[in-house]
Amino acid sequence: MIRTINAIVSRNLIKLKRDKLKLFGNLFMSGLLLFVFSFVMKSMGKGLDHPMNYLISGIIIMTVFQTSLTNSMNILEDISSGFMKEILVAPISRWHIAIGHVISTAIVSVIQGLLIVFIGLFMGLSIDVVHGLGMVGLMLLVGLTFSSLGLYLATISKESSNFQLLVMIISFPLTFLSGAYIPTMALPKVILPIVYINPLTYTTAAFRFLTLHMENMPNAALIKSGVAFSINGFVITPLISMGIIMLMLVIFLYLCVYRFNSADFSRVKTFKHEH
Amino acid sequence: MITNSIEVKNFTKKFGNFTAVDDISFTVEEGTIFAFLGPNGAGKSTTINTLCTIQEKTHGELKINGNDVTHHKDKVRNDIGIVFQESTLDGKLSVEENLKLHCVFYKVPKHEIKERVNFVLKLVDLENRRKAPVDSLSGGMKRRAEIARGLVHFPKVLFLDEPTTGLDPQTRANVWDYIHKLQKQKNITIFLTTHYMEEAEICNKVAIIDGGKIVAHDTPHNLKKQYTSTTMRIKSSCKENLLDYLEDNNIKHKLDKDNEHVLIYANKVDDVLKINSVFRESIEDIEINKGTLNDVFIAITGKEIRE
Repeated sequence: MIRTINAIVSRNLIKLKRDKLKLFGNLFMSGLLLFVFSFVMKSMGKGLDHPMNYLISGIIIMTVFQTSLTNSMNILEDISSGFMKEILVAPISRWHIAIGHVISTAIVSVIQGLLIVFIGLFMGLSIDVVHGLGMVGLMLLVGLTFSSLGLYLATISKESSNFQLLVMIISFPLTFLSGAYIPTMALPKVILPIVYINPLTYTTAAFRFLTLHMENMPNAALIKSGVAFSINGFVITPLISMGIIMLMLVIFLYLCVYRFNSADFSRVKTFKHEH
Repeated sequence: MITNSIEVKNFTKKFGNFTAVDDISFTVEEGTIFAFLGPNGAGKSTTINTLCTIQEKTHGELKINGNDVTHHKDKVRNDIGIVFQESTLDGKLSVEENLKLHCVFYKVPKHEIKERVNFVLKLVDLENRRKAPVDSLSGGMKRRAEIARGLVHFPKVLFLDEPTTGLDPQTRANVWDYIHKLQKQKNITIFLTTHYMEEAEICNKVAIIDGGKIVAHDTPHNLKKQYTSTTMRIKSSCKENLLDYLEDNNIKHKLDKDNEHVLIYANKVDDVLKINSVFRESIEDIEINKGTLNDVFIAITGKEIRE
């Protein structure tokens, strides 16, 4: 089992290594967001101690989110290129394949996230060993959660290209409403309900809490910094946020493994590659 | 004792209201080459896909080495190798990486992987392209890489779904050389689908499938004997005598378009020999054609396999 999962992971990593355009394309996107929103942050993040670090932490975790969600749908490419058939007729359990994909995508997304962390170090982000490990752990958790979601979505999709576009269209605004680029405090009150039901809000909050060393802050200060939320008097602390992420992981992982086991991949329609 | 590698009983596959395969039964003996011959859409790939565990049957019983393909998928998958109609290699990986990945999936012991990869690459003449990304290979090379991959875990039964479609004649011949070499070395059972008649000729048994049904199933030799005749085209200076002789002996014949040659359809070798000895002196021109599987196919289905 370990050998199979390992093989799928290393195959996907080799592919990433060869697909440098994708790697740097994502990095470029994150850099662009960092650049653009640094101006926004300067004017909006007045109440914050380190507005730039605040922004970078959000961008790191949203990079992990985007990468894991979109990359796990790369399995649709495997289906259209025919490689999926090779995997499906091999004497390996489908859930091993699913787990292998989820793990490799999560690793890729953590690597992408770490590249932003690296940039952040030059922009004043300070990380010690304990926090660094915690950040990697949380990135991995987020990566696993959303690769599972991506893989689940890929297995229920019937038409690959449109579907990928649809996921992009839905996920992109959610990243904006998560507080990652624009602090939730600065968002208009009308859209706060969307912010509160957006799972990315809690993902961002938990990661920011860890990255910005906010362990010793009281709840009131956390709420003021946008990493805890008071909804009708109930306070969602960063710790609860982490619980929410874990709960999502359990649900999405179950869904994707369950679906993957019974999915009929011959039904997915894809644009035929011309050979 | 004869053991059957593949046993199919009353297999039916429906897609909605459409019946792709309609109640077919056949067996394939261990160590033989078996061909499924038929036009596109006849049900060949559906049968292969079901035997390979990627599609579920509607009815019937399908076994490979005694293991049911529905209930013992992993056992079946361990025993089989498949070369699909379309490429299923990972184009971004090299030939060698594809093979090694395959070895892991099929639980080939770690210390044997290198040796086996070398063995199959040599078999298909791709040793010097081992590091090349699959995407950079020509169609024939890809096909060979695919065959190498199908063999690297030493399957007991090899499925080849139109293995040579789209290849040039020379590469096709080469691919067949490899298949034969391998079959001899490893005594594996080969199940192939094809619409090339000449490929079916060299198989031990042929099943002709049309419209989801097996319409004939025998050795190529018997099929030809049963469904075709030997055609002789003779020009004789004593044409009238020849015609009388044929009439008297009840041998099917007709005058060719040029009104000079006589076309004779002989069912027995004896007839051929007799005609030749009786009219030996008068024969000016002779052409003898044995029946082909194509003739068998036409005789049975009333249509030609389109290529």
